Amino acid sequence: MSGAWFDYTVNGFVIGNIYALLAVGLALIYGVANLVNFAHGSVYVVGAYTGWAAITYLDTPLPVTLLCVIAVSALVGVGIERIGLRPLHGSSRIAPLLATIGIALVLDQVLQLLFTPDPRAVPMQVPEWRVAIGGGTIGALDLLIAGIGMISAVVLYSFLRFTKLGWAVRATAQDSDAAQQMGVDVNRVNMAVFAIASALSGVSGVLVGMYYNQISTAMSFEATLKGIVALIIGGLGNVPGAIAGSLILGLTESYGIALFGTSYRNLFAFVLLIAMLVWRPNGLFAARRSLPPEPMTGTFIARSRPVAVPRWAVAAMIAVAALLPLLDQPYLLQIGANSLMYAMLALSLTLVAGTVGQVSLGHAALLAIGGYASGLLAMDAGWPVALAIPAAGLVTAALGTLLVFPAFRLTGHYVSIATLGIGEIVALVILNWTGLTRGAIGLGGIPPLEVFGIDLGSVEGTYWLCLAVLVLLALLQLRLLRSHLGRTWRAIRDDPVAARSYGVSGDRYKALAFGFGGFAAGISGAITAHAYSYINHETFGASISILALTMVILGGLGNVLGAVLGATLLIALPEAFRFLAEYRILIYGIVLLLLIRFRPQGLMGTV
Amino acid sequence: MIPLRRRSLFAGLVAGAAATQRAAAAETVHVGVSGPLTGPNAQYGAQWKDAFDLALAEVNPTAQRQIQYVFEDSQSDPRQSVAIAQKFANDQRIVMELGDFSSPASMAASPIYQRAKLVQFGFTNSHPDFTKGGDYMWSNSISQAEEQPGLADFAIAGLGKRRLGVIHLNTDWGVTSKNLFAAAAKEKGAEVTAAEGFLPGERDFRSTLVRIRDSNPDCIVLLAYYADAATIVRQIRTLGLPQAIVAVSSVYSPKLLELGGEAVNGVHVITTFFPDEPRPEVQRFVAAFRAKYNREPDTFNATAYDTMILASTLVNQYGATRAAVREGLAKVRGVPSVVFGTMQFDPNTRRVEGARYKRLVVKDGRFTLWS
Repeated sequence: MSGAWFDYTVNGFVIGNIYALLAVGLALIYGVANLVNFAHGSVYVVGAYTGWAAITYLDTPLPVTLLCVIAVSALVGVGIERIGLRPLHGSSRIAPLLATIGIALVLDQVLQLLFTPDPRAVPMQVPEWRVAIGGGTIGALDLLIAGIGMISAVVLYSFLRFTKLGWAVRATAQDSDAAQQMGVDVNRVNMAVFAIASALSGVSGVLVGMYYNQISTAMSFEATLKGIVALIIGGLGNVPGAIAGSLILGLTESYGIALFGTSYRNLFAFVLLIAMLVWRPNGLFAARRSLPPEPMTGTFIARSRPVAVPRWAVAAMIAVAALLPLLDQPYLLQIGANSLMYAMLALSLTLVAGTVGQVSLGHAALLAIGGYASGLLAMDAGWPVALAIPAAGLVTAALGTLLVFPAFRLTGHYVSIATLGIGEIVALVILNWTGLTRGAIGLGGIPPLEVFGIDLGSVEGTYWLCLAVLVLLALLQLRLLRSHLGRTWRAIRDDPVAARSYGVSGDRYKALAFGFGGFAAGISGAITAHAYSYINHETFGASISILALTMVILGGLGNVLGAVLGATLLIALPEAFRFLAEYRILIYGIVLLLLIRFRPQGLMGTV
Repeated sequence: MIPLRRRSLFAGLVAGAAATQRAAAAETVHVGVSGPLTGPNAQYGAQWKDAFDLALAEVNPTAQRQIQYVFEDSQSDPRQSVAIAQKFANDQRIVMELGDFSSPASMAASPIYQRAKLVQFGFTNSHPDFTKGGDYMWSNSISQAEEQPGLADFAIAGLGKRRLGVIHLNTDWGVTSKNLFAAAAKEKGAEVTAAEGFLPGERDFRSTLVRIRDSNPDCIVLLAYYADAATIVRQIRTLGLPQAIVAVSSVYSPKLLELGGEAVNGVHVITTFFPDEPRPEVQRFVAAFRAKYNREPDTFNATAYDTMILASTLVNQYGATRAAVREGLAKVRGVPSVVFGTMQFDPNTRRVEGARYKRLVVKDGRFTLWS
């Protein structure tokens, strides 16, 4: 068995090696721009396809292939800085993060349109000799990847320490305004950093493509996710730490497989992420245990004056919405019902992210908890649907609050990454807890919506039920926001230190917000489960969390009406763009980018 | 290499329209398709369209009722597939619906199709509960209850293996397949030494393979799709594992050879579709596909092609209404099929039985019949 442990260790290093190339670039960008670049995985795919195209059409040898990849990826990196970062300087801190999500969407779609989604083989251009080590082998490409990772880390480290531009980069990272005053061209520095990091990401894309002899346009999100986890372990913005973090991540995954089996691999990775965030948020290699005081406090969310909507207008909108089924347009009504279900989720997120300032990237997990709770209560415990749904809301409120409790002391980006991890953990627990959730097979035959014997399974019934629930939840939330509780929440968001000095315990109030938010999201998930009749661990995936966040930003953080409007628009737009066929998600991404660029405070304004 | 290509959504409609001009008396019938054209599963939607266009170019010119399909992109996402379901249900031109691709997307839409009394024909939906959604849910997807015993027989009786290490996709399809395979293997007196489930999108299998190796199997069984299988087989080779490899029919694809390279030589596969099979339905399909797209078809193409031929048969034999299609599915016999030879449905399970399995082995970079 000791031989096997040696093999697991080697395997951990081999995969960690690959994560390192991604994490180094992410660390560099975070170090300078204070931004977790969600488009990093997409640049990695751009690099992979550039390499493939160069080899296939131009027959380039390896050095030329790499040069092409570096050139194209660096150019894309510069573009990301130009579109996603520079114009957003001075708007909310969350805007650049969202912009990178939008850019990732656009890049992935463009690649898919250019190269089709079919996976492709990348011709191997590295000698294929292998050496036996333990029970397995490692090849020339493993060493090349390790070499590039190490060399780039060393070069970057010395560049940052010993060159003038490097000093400028570090100065910019510490305080970009001060750096600018001292004559540092911050924009040029940022651009250089994005170019370097993206070139590195592109190179890793083509090398990993050769390594597995396979590239596809769908591999970007996974790459981004693993890179971010490695980055957190190593410490945000710490370049050598990113390499160590990647190796530790690789080892954790490998040992996780060894101990519990392949399906537990990612579970271990994300549990490690949360553990790191809770106990060592600065990474393994930082001397300090507490987070640095973030310059972003209070400015994470753009301030603006919310659009005032008179009461009679709201009442009129509700009346119009209630009468919509009379038009007898089932397709329109289904879109309406979907929008309403998402509006409940958006209500929940706008409270947590907007009013309390905890920007969650794992909110879909609450839908999953609500859906499974209601489905299981109705199917296995035989509860009537009308009771199962509110019960699921309560279960979600309790479980959801408990799950994010460890993340309460975090702020800013750390909250987003922690909730992203928690979301993944919930999905993986659902997948692996076969005894309760039936694992990958999912819950089939969930009873349809009905309230005390009245069948609401028709599209009109579903729509009216969703509308009634949404109006109730929204009125309740508005009432809470106007009470002293709402003021306390905003105080915690705007200045946690001041709030604490006034005797307000942040954690308890955050827990209240997550409790109420969890209830709304749980109800939404429960209604969805009964409407769909079948759910599994993929039904409420990570993409829904990101969609929910864009809804909330679009409507205006903290704005209840804005959340409803954002949900309606983002559910309706892809349907309205149907005539664009393959191009519709691309257009959607571009619209999203334009919105972030020109109205970062959202359509209805933040509250 | 495959040339870059892009086709518009309306390729099918244009093909249909051109055919209409030839046979002026013909009537046009609409079929709805809900499937992924964007998103992570977009490759499968693209494969469907190729096969649909080919089938319609073949049957429409001589048919009394000519089919046009309306392809709506769902990204294989339940939120969008339910909206599409309402759209189709409310569009009285649509007499039959095909798809969606994944189980969550298809089964979320089933209640809507059932209410609208519109047949939802899920041709990739092997989930055991799919056709239990109602009597309007039908499928010609290969039943894993039938395929897995065949696969176990190949490994045990065919190759004489007794200790089987299984690597399966951790999805509803993969888990169902794995359970059926394990039961069949046990019945035939073999032992499943390990069963490892991986998530879609994983690329690194080295540690999984160490686990498999240490369970000491004499054969590795792959329950996966071709792209993942190619990656797994390459890593089996780089780790130097000597065991025989047996794989399920979804691994059969020309793409396996491209993505797997030399490593896939010696891999055993069962398949329902094999282009070198001399049956006339197969030969006609393969020749036409090669001529139109200049590449080799795979099982996904074949199933989609079969499905469109079936749709045309149904509307032409039984009438162009939703009720007629539903009745026709229960009655129809002997529809020519690439996958099944001939297709007929069991009205109770609403599935097709009697797929014909071929045993193949990869030799010198080509699939050849195993003997």
